[in-house]
Amino acid sequence: MSSDAAAATIDHHFDPTTSTGIPNKKILMWAFLASDCMFFGCLISTHLIYRLHPPPGTLPARQVFSIELTSFSTFILLMSSLMMALAVNAIQKGNLRSMRWSLLTTIFFGCIFLGCQVYEFRNFVYEKHLTITNSILGSTFFTLTGTHGLHVLVGVIWLSGMLLYSFTGRLTEKQAIDVESMGLYWHFVDIVWIVIFTAVYLLEYI
Amino acid sequence: MSSPASLAPAHGHELEQNKFWIFVQIAMLLAVITGLELVTVYLPFMRWLLFSVLVVLSTVKFMFVIFYFMHLRWDRAFCTILFFIGLFLAAATMWALLRLFGAEASKPLPVTMADPPAAVTRIA
Repeated sequence: MSSDAAAATIDHHFDPTTSTGIPNKKILMWAFLASDCMFFGCLISTHLIYRLHPPPGTLPARQVFSIELTSFSTFILLMSSLMMALAVNAIQKGNLRSMRWSLLTTIFFGCIFLGCQVYEFRNFVYEKHLTITNSILGSTFFTLTGTHGLHVLVGVIWLSGMLLYSFTGRLTEKQAIDVESMGLYWHFVDIVWIVIFTAVYLLEYI
Repeated sequence: MSSPASLAPAHGHELEQNKFWIFVQIAMLLAVITGLELVTVYLPFMRWLLFSVLVVLSTVKFMFVIFYFMHLRWDRAFCTILFFIGLFLAAATMWALLRLFGAEASKPLPVTMADPPAAVTRIA
């Protein structure tokens, strides 16, 4: 079956070989993401609770944060999500070349996001003297955003691995579910950041 | 997956072709909403109003990503239910924790040197 013919016939939203009609890898990923929601929910709650009752002498978060840099990071992560969606769309059509370019761009945007986060952390520690141990704001902020950053790093490594794997010739439209599962993970990282951007950063400014 | 049972209807292929533009349009919309959020925090309105606007805008972004970029709109309802179970539990946990620790009785007591903790007194 040629690439174009396969793209015209394979239904990527239905798998007749499973009892649910959903590929098992997809169910596994959705179950993992559901559990990760609870993990991040607890981290965000912890941060918000301590922001409700800041101990005396706590540095105002507005003086620490740089909303311009964070907005730029948010924009970059949203664009990386677009490229990831296009990568999944490309592999589902059997267009390997387009998928590689989209994956490469997603990795590039992911690295920019991580770079911004490293810059932000360095700025907080060396310029604003906010560390993970010297205040509750530092503890909750670095734990939350650091955990998210770790998720992004894992995503970038996964994307890079998939990009390299695509050059072996074993990745075809029939294995699109592998790229789609990875895409679900990457988009999840994006939606967590959407919540963090509002709950941690923007709410400090109103 | 390429068995006859999995053959997609003709309009399915057209949908796959259109998805490219749907994704691009949604990404532009998300970027615009992010800009709106940034502008919102500087508006001289009441705090509760700004808070509500920010929550609504981020919820809209969240929903667009999960239903379009994560394909929930086109996938079986089971995936949506599975994810929303986790999301509901997370939201309920957050709500409960914030209610518990937001209460007046949960405010930390001021610590003064004249009133050291029991453990410190014992050591001294």
